[in-house]
Amino acid sequence: MSAPTVTVAEQAAADPLTHGIEKLVHELSVLPLKGEHLGIAESYSPGHFTLTNYTFWMLIAFALTVLFFVVASRKPKLVPSGIYNLAEAGVAFVRDSLCAEVMGPEGRKYFPFIGTVFFFVLFNNLLGNIPPALPGTGTLGTTFMWGLIVFTVYNGIGIKKNGLGRYIKSFIPSGTPLWLAPFIFVLELISHFLRPITLGIRLYANMYAGHIMLGVFAIFMGIAIEHVSATSFVVLPLSFVMQIVLRGFELFVAVLQAYIFAILTAVYINGALHASEH
Amino acid sequence: MEKIIPLGVELYVNLAAFVVLFVLLAKFAFPPITKMLDERAEKIRESLEKAEDTRIEAERLLEEYRQQMAEARAEAAKIIEQGRTVAENMKSEILAKAREEAEAEKAKALEAIKAERAAAVAELQAKVAELSVAVAGKILGEQLTPAEHEALIERYLAEVGSLDER
Repeated sequence: MSAPTVTVAEQAAADPLTHGIEKLVHELSVLPLKGEHLGIAESYSPGHFTLTNYTFWMLIAFALTVLFFVVASRKPKLVPSGIYNLAEAGVAFVRDSLCAEVMGPEGRKYFPFIGTVFFFVLFNNLLGNIPPALPGTGTLGTTFMWGLIVFTVYNGIGIKKNGLGRYIKSFIPSGTPLWLAPFIFVLELISHFLRPITLGIRLYANMYAGHIMLGVFAIFMGIAIEHVSATSFVVLPLSFVMQIVLRGFELFVAVLQAYIFAILTAVYINGALHASEH
Repeated sequence: MEKIIPLGVELYVNLAAFVVLFVLLAKFAFPPITKMLDERAEKIRESLEKAEDTRIEAERLLEEYRQQMAEARAEAAKIIEQGRTVAENMKSEILAKAREEAEAEKAKALEAIKAERAAAVAELQAKVAELSVAVAGKILGEQLTPAEHEALIERYLAEVGSLDER
């Protein structure tokens, strides 16, 4: 990727597909808005603070979420209509169908947190479907961080509800033979620490892969138009159809992944609440 | 591998964004909406309960009306029955009285007729006797003695008197 522009142009002429895909991967990689490149090590020092292409769109989604709910919650109506109806349907869905379904009626108490998770992820996912926006959730920096927040919150709730000692002890199911207990404990610990990682990677991979797919068919179309040949007449319409199908599919994935992220959060909180019961 | 490890700057921004959004939504956006949801649920529940109460009340009223109606109908039937009995009694009373009066009237008339007839017969007898004697006298020509005359009338009267018996 550090090749001079001359060879890039030559390469582009020689193999447009490889070149297109490399360009796509580059565009979808995390790029700092300030400066050419940001090393991982220096990205952790506050002195090198910059927004990236993903966090930029994440903040746009943030603004849209806030705007949506400000407009919606300004005047709640007994007979809902318009944007309020939409917001209320969303809230009712997360609170009554998701939280209450997973955690029972008292699960509504945790709606503000789970609702924030759901709507923030949803708005990011959906925004990513409007070119040229990227989904804020298309980078691990976002999804892992939010997974980490979920991890912190559910463990916090578990400790607050059961007490630190009992919560830790709950990692070993009652009736476990003493010699097995340390192994079980370590296994349980690992499974807990894997949760933010799996949460993060699942969401990130879905969003990122979706955009790669869309990009690849866009590249096909571009090549079919630029290098007209007999195959163009097959590739172009097929890729066009795929674009449409994938767009629809991506909308579905956007909602589905937000739902999965939120319902897993609810499941983790519920597990932490009832940790000492099993 | 470079892609897998997230950039620190992204972590910071996302942490901040999430926390700020959580505070904003949980403090300002969600409460009015959830409040409205609960209010509506409460309202619907109340309406349903009210409707149920109204239904029960309506059923109770209907039952009451039905009962009243049945009572009224029974009452009416009773009154009609009573009226019929009274009328029936009155009718037989009137009929009996009428019959009685008619009987009395008839009896009186018969009595009068009988008396009338008796009087007529008596008068007729007297007249006939007188005439007969006179006629007989004319025929016989004053040849009868008063005693014979008297005896003739007597005999004749006895013969004519038998007319009465018929």
